[in-house]
Amino acid sequence: MFTHTPLRLTTLATLAIGALAYAFVAGFFGLEILAEIAILAILVIALDLVAGFGGMLSLCHGALLGVGAYAFTVAAKDAGLSAFPAMVLAVALSAALAFVIGAVCARSIGIYFIMATLAFGQMAYSFVFQSPLFGGDDGLSGAPRPDLTAIGIDLTDSRAFAIYAIALVALTYLVAASTLRSGLGRSLVGLHHNEKRLRALGLTVWRAKATAFAISGALAGLAGCLAAQHTQYISPGLLSWTVSGEALVVVILGGLGTLAGPIVGAILFVVLKHEISAITPYWHAIVGLILIAVVMSRANGVFGYVEARMAARAAKPTLEKAKADA
Amino acid sequence: MTTDLGFWVLQTLNALQLSMLLFLLSVGLTVIFGLMHFVNPAHGSLYAFGAYMAASLAGVLGYWGGFFLVPLAVAALGAVLYFTLIRSQRRAGPMAQVLVTFGLIFVAVDATRLIWGDLPIGIAIPAMFEGQLPLLGVEYPIYRLFIIALGLVVLAALTLVLTRTQIGAMIRAGVDNDQMAACLGINVERMFFLVFVVGCALAGLAGAVAAPVLSVTPDMGLQILIPTLIVIVIGGLGSLKGAVAGSLIFGFVQTFGAVLLPTLNSVLIYALLAAVLVIRPEGLLPAKG
Repeated sequence: MFTHTPLRLTTLATLAIGALAYAFVAGFFGLEILAEIAILAILVIALDLVAGFGGMLSLCHGALLGVGAYAFTVAAKDAGLSAFPAMVLAVALSAALAFVIGAVCARSIGIYFIMATLAFGQMAYSFVFQSPLFGGDDGLSGAPRPDLTAIGIDLTDSRAFAIYAIALVALTYLVAASTLRSGLGRSLVGLHHNEKRLRALGLTVWRAKATAFAISGALAGLAGCLAAQHTQYISPGLLSWTVSGEALVVVILGGLGTLAGPIVGAILFVVLKHEISAITPYWHAIVGLILIAVVMSRANGVFGYVEARMAARAAKPTLEKAKADA
Repeated sequence: MTTDLGFWVLQTLNALQLSMLLFLLSVGLTVIFGLMHFVNPAHGSLYAFGAYMAASLAGVLGYWGGFFLVPLAVAALGAVLYFTLIRSQRRAGPMAQVLVTFGLIFVAVDATRLIWGDLPIGIAIPAMFEGQLPLLGVEYPIYRLFIIALGLVVLAALTLVLTRTQIGAMIRAGVDNDQMAACLGINVERMFFLVFVVGCALAGLAGAVAAPVLSVTPDMGLQILIPTLIVIVIGGLGSLKGAVAGSLIFGFVQTFGAVLLPTLNSVLIYALLAAVLVIRPEGLLPAKG
């Protein structure tokens, strides 16, 4: 079950304060990186919700993000909706799509689940790529940013946009955490542990899985809206399975099933990507080696490792005390 | 167009050629999975390495030098991978395995870029297979017929080994129930190693024969990975028959989809995969009945 340990709360508070402080001092490039981290963080929180807690390793989250980005751009640009209704529409569409995928894949487990989600993700990718509605390979440009000038915030400014992005990460985290603490979240963790038991207890398994997947999909769609607003240009590449694969890598680097860990992973991943690609064009190889090292070390990512060490240190005195008492 | 016999012959041959290439790749992957419950997404990278090595060797030893040496070299690479990464991850669960091999893909793509550069490399078709052969009213490139023939030869050889020899019986026993096979005195670990290395050699061979018909690029391993995975999931993980069926289905759907339903083509194969997974989650011809 998901709990907020003191370590997790401290980490989250530190990250939030650090990100906000950085947003006020950083230059243009730093702010762009901050927005990039925020988009990735939303996506990996969404993925950790289903993969870390429900054991549903999805390879279609890139596609869900892309659907959100395309739906937002089309709704805001071609249908003439203003930005917030367009975002609600895009998030709802991603959620609906995720619900269908979750319902259809509910029976598949393990490698079959991965392959099934991959198939649906690639289907969405091919559809967007080939459909004449969405500009094909050229993508679409001109997604607007929300207009908050009424309350004195100009989101075309990159500092304001970075703070807005951080706020959306916080919102995403709250949605994910409260989902996990609800009955649905507990069922999801229970399903991961023992599906038969929950079925015997009377849970409608497919509906629980599909609903959790839909919530995760909605968050991925939100990440898509933010991505479209950030670069104001989208291409079918957003839906590609490599985006989903990369998101999975980030979740693992950070710490699967910790919710705070993937955020740490997103920061590490984006910063590493920019630092290493400044030195060598072969940054994928370095990330690959780090990934292999992390998985081979059997630690649950960077954050998971710290958590396990802290837990071991906390457990030691009580163990010694127990020995002394005996 | 569709009433012309030549059209059907031509597209059938194209489909067969694609199927046989996919078969060479997927058979290794699927038998490795059947025996070891290990999905190796880096299989596509071994194929790309095979193609690059064939391209390099073609300049030195000619096409046939590459054809015979590349599978050996890729098998050796597979053996190195087995002892450094694969063996220690055997009991780590599917998640860790997929991720380690994911990391390997990242490393492999950049390694090929580092060694061979970013630009596509082309290699010439061997002199004895140049030109076209008249066949049922169409002219078909001889080299592509050679790929079909090679796929059939490998299929025949594997079927023979798996159904008629002792080692084949041991492998089938291992796929069926590896613990029971180990209790009966079969050295399952050594068999894993053998199957893994042969699978790698076949991936290298696929790369070597594909190099003259496709352009050799750093991301070719990634591009072939998804079709290969689709083939083994449609066919049923772990079964030779499944790999054959899956390759043929993929080859024909892809080829005929491209000419008959060009607007739906790329969605078609994924829709088929989704349908198979929903109706028969274990694939069409699973290894275990």
